[in-house]
Amino acid sequence: MHTTTPVNPAVLLVGHPNVGKSVLFHRLTGAYVNVSNYPGTTVEVSHAAARFDAQLTLFDTPGVLSLPSRSDDERATVRALLNEHSRTLVQVGDAKNLRRTLTLTALLAELGLPMVLALNMGDEAAARGVVVDTEQLAEDLGTPVMCTVATGGEGISELIDGMSIATIPSPLLHYDATTEAAISRLAQTIERLAPHPRLAARGLAILYLGGDSEVARWLEDTAGTNYEQLSALRDEAAQSIPDLAAQLGRERAQAADLLAASVVRRSAGSTPLLSQRIGQWVVHPRWSWPILLGVLYVVYEFVGVFGASVLVGLIEKDLFEPIINPAVSAWAKEVAPWPWLADLIAGEYGLWTMGMTYALALILPIVSTFFIAFGILEDSGYFPRLSVIVNRLFAMFGLNGRAVLPMVLGLGCVTMATLTTRILHSPRERLITTFLMALAIPCSAQLGVVLGLLGGISFTATLIWVVAMVGILILAGFLAAKLIPGRRIPLVTELPPIRLPIMGNVLKKTGGRLKWYLIEVIPLFLLGTFIMFLLDRTGALPNIIRAGEPLVAGWLGLPPAASAAFVMGFLRRDFGAAGLFALADQLSPIQAVVGMVTITLFIPCIASLMMIIKEQGWRIALGMLALIVPFAFFVGGVLNQLLHLVW
Amino acid sequence: MNSPDQTTAANEARVPLAFVATGSVVVLVELGNGIDSMQREQLTSYGLTPNRAISVLQQRPMTVILADEVELALEHQVARHIWVEPVSNARNGN
Repeated sequence: MHTTTPVNPAVLLVGHPNVGKSVLFHRLTGAYVNVSNYPGTTVEVSHAAARFDAQLTLFDTPGVLSLPSRSDDERATVRALLNEHSRTLVQVGDAKNLRRTLTLTALLAELGLPMVLALNMGDEAAARGVVVDTEQLAEDLGTPVMCTVATGGEGISELIDGMSIATIPSPLLHYDATTEAAISRLAQTIERLAPHPRLAARGLAILYLGGDSEVARWLEDTAGTNYEQLSALRDEAAQSIPDLAAQLGRERAQAADLLAASVVRRSAGSTPLLSQRIGQWVVHPRWSWPILLGVLYVVYEFVGVFGASVLVGLIEKDLFEPIINPAVSAWAKEVAPWPWLADLIAGEYGLWTMGMTYALALILPIVSTFFIAFGILEDSGYFPRLSVIVNRLFAMFGLNGRAVLPMVLGLGCVTMATLTTRILHSPRERLITTFLMALAIPCSAQLGVVLGLLGGISFTATLIWVVAMVGILILAGFLAAKLIPGRRIPLVTELPPIRLPIMGNVLKKTGGRLKWYLIEVIPLFLLGTFIMFLLDRTGALPNIIRAGEPLVAGWLGLPPAASAAFVMGFLRRDFGAAGLFALADQLSPIQAVVGMVTITLFIPCIASLMMIIKEQGWRIALGMLALIVPFAFFVGGVLNQLLHLVW
Repeated sequence: MNSPDQTTAANEARVPLAFVATGSVVVLVELGNGIDSMQREQLTSYGLTPNRAISVLQQRPMTVILADEVELALEHQVARHIWVEPVSNARNGN
């Protein structure tokens, strides 16, 4: 897929994950982007007009650990380099880790584009006693180098000035003789057969020799039938130089080491910073679990208590029920020429009284508080540490701790989380995570309804639900790991410094996520309500209730009317749970638990199903559906029998 | 160069990173062949190259190290194949 290409000249921000590219992008454009302290959250390339020059388009590329590209993020960045009309490259680097920054510079410098190096997070470097001689570095590289603190807005105007005087850097290294010979032979051939309009043939040759699949594809497309000459040269080089890609990488790292050593001064013997110590406590073998429980408790208080009861109470009980809904109802009766239209707007299954009330009064407060809590944890740097803590548990599912990020996000919105599985490294990890989320991770809207209903009954009821869900998650994960072929990838992760989240960033991000959520959710709520209205009007609803009776009333032991909740559950899981919630006063404790377990396991909402189809394809999505729906009813029925025996 | 996974006995000083005591500083010798090539490239790009000094912060539940102001967490399965040696005899006790 090629990225859209605006005609304006482009500036590309490129750099390692978690060095503040997205914050810098925001400073330079004013546009909203997803900014977070978790490696790998910029899944796609975002672009916006520059604040200082409307003719200029800025691109924020996903973080690259290294080039040639290996991951989806890295491939997206190389695609942007190949396809956008780049005028300038801005490498955003980590001031406290110049060696790593320069290892990437050693490659970018070969691309033949004017370049600026922004050494970001200068404050963190200073706090650790790391001082970079930027003037010397600029002289050695032959390009402007500036120190920035993107979060505090420092060095931004210097950076903007730097972009206008950016120059093509001098190469950081000459590879060893054999490799150099291979590079220049290939570069000459690329120049002849597939010249790139902006990028230097030498840079493309180095990427191609290093096994970059995006560059290979571009060369194949451009050189056409002559591509064989290029691939023959590459194969020849690979045969004469053992472990070619690693060799190229090592030589770049060595050159970067040398240069970094000459321009970095380090004040010795500094004591660990408070943030470093907190970061270590959080993953400490003894303290990590108590801290995790503490974090969960605070999140529960904020989302479960403040969001799901206080805010929902205020908005639904004090605003919608007594004031807004009666007013809408009266207005509908007055203006609607036919009574059915008034019913459609404000009746029992009215678009406003059911659809919008659910969306705005019940769901919105819960997801808002969830996304705020999630954003704070994300920006603080807690999630990578959480992946370390839960790694052993996730190993049982054939996953590594990295999968905890989509899983936790799934507690907010499974649809969004399904998209986020892209941060996982292998298709197998993505498949297992997607399946487990579709089956056993309730989204925040559903969680709010479930906890509201079961919490109102008893603590035991809530506990049974929690134990059932966790048990099924572990069992399903264990089986998935055994049945889905492939190897588990051990966890290697960077632990970025613990940072105090900036409220502005958290709110901006929450705003973006809420917007996405509402755009996705409101049409589905209205569609769901409309289908319910039709079923009710045409008299089909009683038939469905009757048809579902053996299953719902017989096997699950629920009141027959609960069938309607399962019909709604096809549209959104939480919608179904809300439907059961409406029956709450007719349910016994056992019925409530059985109903909630079944509906939680039940198929994910339509939106998330669409997302699964998009990410995994039709066959896998339908397969999951065929597995999950019978399984949900099976577990519900078994639980019903069990609870009648013991409770 | 020798394959370090097979010839540890030949080199008295090198030990796997997973077995280094918490709190010590070591120098990276080599990434062993037991790490698959993708992950080896990943480690190289995190800055784990020969002669790099590494402080070991933690060994449980995973190996946590500080290399050049980058904190990394590695599963033992990986840390077992990272060969390191003591930085010098200057540090007492290790």
